[in-house]
Amino acid sequence: MNSAGVLILIPFIFSLLCFVAGKKWSSVVALISSVGSLFYYLLLLSSYNVKTNYVAFGFYYDWIPSIRASLSFGMDAANLLVLLLTQIVVCLAVLATMVKGNTRTGAYYGLIGLTHTFLNAFFSSQNPMTFLIFFEATLIPVYFLILNFGGPKRKQAVFKFFIYTVFGGMLMLAAILFYQSNMFPQLRLDSWAEFYQFKLSLKYQYWLFTAFFIAFAIKAPIFPFHTWQADLYSQADRPTLMILAALLSKMGIFGFVRFNFFFIQVVYDWFNYITVLCVIGVVYGAIIAWRQKDIIRLIAYSSLSHIGLIAAGTMTLTNIGMQGAMFAMLAHGLAVAGLVFVADVMIRRTNQHTVDSFSGIARNNPRFAVYFFIILLSAVGLPLTCGFIGEFYLIWALVEFKFYIGLVAALTLIFGAAYMLRWYQKTMFGIPSANILGFQKLSLSEDYIFLILVILILTLGLFPADWVGFGQFAYKYMNFIPDN
Amino acid sequence: MMLALIILTLAGLLILFLGFSKIRNVLLPVAIVALVAAIFSLTTQQTFWNQYLTDMVQIDGISRKISLIIMYTALGLLPFFNLFKGRGQEELSDFLGIYLFAIIGSILMVSALNYMSLFLGVEILSISMYVLAGANRRSVHSNEASLKYFITGSFTSAIMLFGIAWIYVESASLSMVQLSGAATNMMSFGFLFLFTAFALKVALVPFHFWAPDVYQGTPTLFTASMATLVKIAAIGAFYRLVQLNYAVLPDWINWYFVLLILATLILGNIQAVSQNSVKRLFAYSGIVQSGFILMGFLYQSEFVDWTMLFYFIAYASASLVGFIVIHFVETQSGSDNLDSFVGLSKSNPGLALVLTISLISLAGGPLTAGFMAKIFMLSQSIQNNFTALALVAVISAVISMYYYYKVINAIYSKSADASWSVPFYYKGLLYVFTVITLIAGLVPSFLIGLIK
Repeated sequence: MNSAGVLILIPFIFSLLCFVAGKKWSSVVALISSVGSLFYYLLLLSSYNVKTNYVAFGFYYDWIPSIRASLSFGMDAANLLVLLLTQIVVCLAVLATMVKGNTRTGAYYGLIGLTHTFLNAFFSSQNPMTFLIFFEATLIPVYFLILNFGGPKRKQAVFKFFIYTVFGGMLMLAAILFYQSNMFPQLRLDSWAEFYQFKLSLKYQYWLFTAFFIAFAIKAPIFPFHTWQADLYSQADRPTLMILAALLSKMGIFGFVRFNFFFIQVVYDWFNYITVLCVIGVVYGAIIAWRQKDIIRLIAYSSLSHIGLIAAGTMTLTNIGMQGAMFAMLAHGLAVAGLVFVADVMIRRTNQHTVDSFSGIARNNPRFAVYFFIILLSAVGLPLTCGFIGEFYLIWALVEFKFYIGLVAALTLIFGAAYMLRWYQKTMFGIPSANILGFQKLSLSEDYIFLILVILILTLGLFPADWVGFGQFAYKYMNFIPDN
Repeated sequence: MMLALIILTLAGLLILFLGFSKIRNVLLPVAIVALVAAIFSLTTQQTFWNQYLTDMVQIDGISRKISLIIMYTALGLLPFFNLFKGRGQEELSDFLGIYLFAIIGSILMVSALNYMSLFLGVEILSISMYVLAGANRRSVHSNEASLKYFITGSFTSAIMLFGIAWIYVESASLSMVQLSGAATNMMSFGFLFLFTAFALKVALVPFHFWAPDVYQGTPTLFTASMATLVKIAAIGAFYRLVQLNYAVLPDWINWYFVLLILATLILGNIQAVSQNSVKRLFAYSGIVQSGFILMGFLYQSEFVDWTMLFYFIAYASASLVGFIVIHFVETQSGSDNLDSFVGLSKSNPGLALVLTISLISLAGGPLTAGFMAKIFMLSQSIQNNFTALALVAVISAVISMYYYYKVINAIYSKSADASWSVPFYYKGLLYVFTVITLIAGLVPSFLIGLIK
């Protein structure tokens, strides 16, 4: 019964139910599904011992024997945290839709459920083929989610996103097929371990890494490939955006975590170029975020900035960098989901999208202001929140590796504080403006969402040791592979 | 094999004569029963009268499989002929009879062993299709399509005969199996013409110019058979010709195929991007898909056969659904323009769903048949060291996403159109095709097992 397959099956079955459940019940079904899979995942987590076996709860299916492709899922030290994040964020996103005057249809919840299914399958994939299939498959429900439910300019935005991501995915497809056909007689590509054992000559590795890098850099996104991001974020329905910003951006980073060790030599050779791109993203994203008036665009660019830092951390290929990247994925996911929800609360109540149109919310809603502040601190990376731990490890790893790059990357802390606090100051303090007067108190479900986020952020920030430790096991496991 | 041909011929003639008697209700059942019987006789490999085939026609592994795929596709389309029954002027019996003859022609094409029977098959198929293209006598476009198809078809036949003549001059035999050593220059020249004729028939760039016009003018149900039946038969015959002569063909023939594939994938996609008529768009989509299928020609091994057959099934099930939905939308709104698909998800959610899935499959979206088919083709061409070609194919697949996206985008746009419906049996059939698409994408090994 303890199997990663069940974790994929639960949201899938419930998502089918959602499609037929109708407007009234589909949100309840979706909530049951996401809470159910969260608890199932916690059950798995409680019986998982990373020290004794690396891959646990495996589910294997010999999918297409004729091209030796198999589907394989399982939990390991590398995907443990990000799977946890997936279950939590989907729960929160479904909860975030359950507000007064919710007009979302059954199809919406069904698509959310499908996204959940594919994300679970993607993060728990145990071989390159599975990884690839679900990397692409996740796009389909997300595409329809935004095409059908979103802002007025959603079509252009989702089109841009779609073409970018499909392009990356196809490059990765070609690379994996190339890998597979070159290792055809020897191995079956059934697990990551077997994938590690096979090393192509360096000449091919450069090309293959380029393909993988572009695929993940588009998905993450990293600096020159980010132009779809802000447009898409500002057009997406906000509960969808919670999933989009917190989970889909992690798919790219997760790709780096998985694949960088296959290309140790290449990453080492190109470290400077890649990290410079990432760091440009860090600084550039922060500067643009500083100038944004639209709240959602601000979140999008701040996300670009943080993701750049995490991606640079994965490139160090050190123990510290690995631990930092994996923990920062979790921390950033929680923080950005929280920020999006803060924006949702503000925008839904007043129908205003810009920072300038709010002021003095704290006077009426002190509780909201406190929640917002804690989430903001985590996003900025202040001590005692989980955001701090992740960024600290990442900057440590970068400074150790290349001092100047680490130094510039560390600017993210300062810039982040600047634009986030500006947002906070303008909206929360001052004299309440006219359109704030009707700002209602937080409803029960909103209160729950904030409470869950704040508790998680503080607990992970105060007791991070065990959670960060998982990264160490992942690193150890991946590093047993001989260099070429 | 022989039995299947006899059954179909007799049924075709019977239906033509039944047309005089004005009993329209039995026509379709007769055709379906005949086709099912033919499929049964081919599946169980009846040897009745096979001795008369001698070395003109041979039914072997691959040709039998392609014939079966063709017949299943035809069977899938047959029930929709019922749609013609209500329209007074048109003659259902003529269409059905001619359609059965077209099936005969395509079976003959893919199992020919002699250039004479190959040519006979091509002509039977083509002449039937010329007639069907002009089926809508009152429409100028249909007449134009028929004439265009006829002229390019005659041109194709001429080139084909020219090629055959060169081969005949050199080898003094019309047999498609060349036993003696490598081909001489003269013979290679003949093959070049023969292959070019097939490229015209399949509509590969740069020999594709006729396809969009003909597809657009032809009544949509016959376009569906053009895009599935004719295309599969032509590629199947082409493939079999290459396979039979692979040993004698010169090395540069692979580069001829590579050039065709590159041109088809790149130019076909680029031309498809600017189309506003969904039928033309599907025509270009078919052109690009056949470019993908041609990647299976580059190297001959056991691996090749099933990848191509899988691609046939994926392509046929998706584009059949596509054309039938276009037919319904066209009869509803009077045009096959992109605008008439706007709001389909509201006015007819069932059709919107099947069309979306088939479009995703054609585009190569994951977990559908099209994705697996493309993966097989790509992995095969990478394995045969055509990595750069695979890369171009991958990029062209991204370009193709754009125009499939346009249609999906239109389907899910909002509009205030009143809802309309389609009889449940037609819808049920469309769901069956869609399920095939999904099953082939989710559990491809099942289908591969069937093919093998």
